[in-house]
Amino acid sequence: MTDFFNFIIAAVLAACPLLLGTLGESLAEKSGNLNLGVEGMMFMGGIAGLAGSYYYEKAVAEPVAWVSVMIALVCAFLCASFGALIYSFLTITLRANQNVTGLALTIFGTGFGNFFGEFIGSTAGGYIAVSQVTKAGFNDPLFPALARIPVVGKVLFSYNFMVYLSIILAIWMWYFIKFTQKGLNLMAVGERHEAADAAGINITLYKYLATCIGGGITGLGGLYIVMNSSNGVGGVWVHNCIGGYGWLSVALVIFATWRPSRAMVCALAFGALSVMRFYFPISFIPMAIYEIFPYLATIIVLITVSLRKRRENQPPASLGLPYFREDR
Amino acid sequence: MKKLLSLVLVISMVFSFAACSSGNTEATNSTEPSSSAPAEKAGVPKEELKIGFIHISDPSDMGYTYNHDLGTWAMVEALGLREDQIINKYNIGEDEGCAAAIDELIEAGCQIIFATSFGHGDYMKEAAMAHPEIEFCHATGDLASKAGLSNFHNYFTSIYEARYLAGIAAGMKLKELGETKLGYVAAFECAEVVSGFTAFYLGAKSVLPEATMDVIYTNSWHDPIKEAQVAQTLIDGGCKVISQHSDSTAPATTAEANGVFQVGYNADMISAAPKASLISARSDWSKYLIFAVQCVMEGKPIPTDWCQGLSEGAVYLSPLNTDIAAPGTQEAIDEAAEKIKSGELHVFAGPLSGTGKNWGTEGSIEIKEGEWFEESKEQSAPYWYYIIDGVNVLSY
Repeated sequence: MTDFFNFIIAAVLAACPLLLGTLGESLAEKSGNLNLGVEGMMFMGGIAGLAGSYYYEKAVAEPVAWVSVMIALVCAFLCASFGALIYSFLTITLRANQNVTGLALTIFGTGFGNFFGEFIGSTAGGYIAVSQVTKAGFNDPLFPALARIPVVGKVLFSYNFMVYLSIILAIWMWYFIKFTQKGLNLMAVGERHEAADAAGINITLYKYLATCIGGGITGLGGLYIVMNSSNGVGGVWVHNCIGGYGWLSVALVIFATWRPSRAMVCALAFGALSVMRFYFPISFIPMAIYEIFPYLATIIVLITVSLRKRRENQPPASLGLPYFREDR
Repeated sequence: MKKLLSLVLVISMVFSFAACSSGNTEATNSTEPSSSAPAEKAGVPKEELKIGFIHISDPSDMGYTYNHDLGTWAMVEALGLREDQIINKYNIGEDEGCAAAIDELIEAGCQIIFATSFGHGDYMKEAAMAHPEIEFCHATGDLASKAGLSNFHNYFTSIYEARYLAGIAAGMKLKELGETKLGYVAAFECAEVVSGFTAFYLGAKSVLPEATMDVIYTNSWHDPIKEAQVAQTLIDGGCKVISQHSDSTAPATTAEANGVFQVGYNADMISAAPKASLISARSDWSKYLIFAVQCVMEGKPIPTDWCQGLSEGAVYLSPLNTDIAAPGTQEAIDEAAEKIKSGELHVFAGPLSGTGKNWGTEGSIEIKEGEWFEESKEQSAPYWYYIIDGVNVLSY
């Protein structure tokens, strides 16, 4: 049983960046913007957050953990939002092709992250690394006392604050989309531009905001990978560290059928699949097979969703389409 | 009619391309003998020397690349070179990017190029065939002896000797804890890795005969996320001391977060995990770098394979973390080190038997009591890839 709990804990930790990426991307896609730049925005968020903490620590004599953490979060969010803003300007204002723009953002963001990671590193004499204070701020369990409760304590309360933050975000997004006027407006924009426009909803504003805030949330996922994923080694720029998590998030949006509530379960499933081979190895199944499980799951979901054709499981109807008011 | 015509054109084009490419390979084949030409070359004056390095990651790994980079700068100091005579290419993957990086180094005028990761080998070999005037030295590789080129070399250290000694520290700690299970974060299923963890295990076994070891592969040389996940799995499975053949300090920090102990590789990891890291097995790469660069300066040939170990100081142990190590560890290590140097103790001493795979090639071995396996004698890269009793590979 402890084996199983350990497996769940590892799965939650692996799922957290995926959940943040998925939430951000779902928000953008709800407005009809298919932003394939998730990977790039994760890179931008990761390096900006790391650089923020790094320069803060250099500037003050005695860095305080929570200040450093806040700076990292804000920098990551803003920088990734900036990436999304470029995308929004190109696709919403200039009506460029969304797929091409998104791919370009991925290429740009990857280069941006690696370039600045290595540039700041080389000026710092080898590499960037934040101090133990910031690392502890990111990695220490949020509820150390509760984590000591036998059995359930560890499974529920042993995580760092980023895990709880991502869960709160997921619940907030579920509530926002389902129960608020603004959430409904956002859905209308994504489903049918012209109807929303006729109803007096400011389409441009909704699209810009949803894409940029979504991008920022995605950037937090990148920050998690940089600071948390490697268990305390964090706070170091590792070349190409995002390594496909952004693409997994894009797949997860489809897997979760554009719903934040499902995203939590689906991200956990992806996380579980990614660590499963360590905990439940089957000697005759090669590792490569384990690694395709998440993608296999996505394909199966895509097939079932398109076969069953239930309306609530379909992507937003205007996804990927630019909006011209004069278009007929 | 038009369709038919275009089809015919396309097919003819495909054939002509195919013809071209086969012509090309013939051309490179025919240049092969000439590339293995002069053994004696003119020396290069110190001021004109340019030295290139291809690294798989960058020194931020605080592990393999960090350690090799230290060797570079020790070499610069020992030979009195200028910093701008060194051109480092960091974060070069084991793919086409490696070929491009080598080309850039050649264009920059390097007379000698070092590549440090196993997967760089094929690209180094190709470049060595095309540029007989430049020396190509590839760490951890095993292609040079088969390639038969005078300007393509392999080098490695007898790191298994240091691993064996580090294993003693792990075994003593386990004994003190009253536990028997070791864990190992391993990169790939290949001789370099298996040789290392077998030596580590044998070292631990020499002081704790009932020790066993779980091994999980990450399938990557440097991936801190996976290394942390694998280390966590091993610890969850009951391993109380873990070690690693992977480039980052993630196993060390994961061990510390879980209150277990760790034996490092390539770097003193005590600063990363003061309450977990016992000791590290390290290579001193400057030994080879100084030697090879001196050969270029003097115009002397560089041997095809180079491997030195404990006796020559090419491998060593980082200082023992005496705050957490079991009492008597240093003495036990020193004693074994003396025996290895004198030739009294052999790391891969019989009785040993096992089967295993080296990059997919299967094989098995049986060494009888009183005999031993000579590692790194025929070529610099290790060729022990057999999984022995007591080692459990959990996941491929």
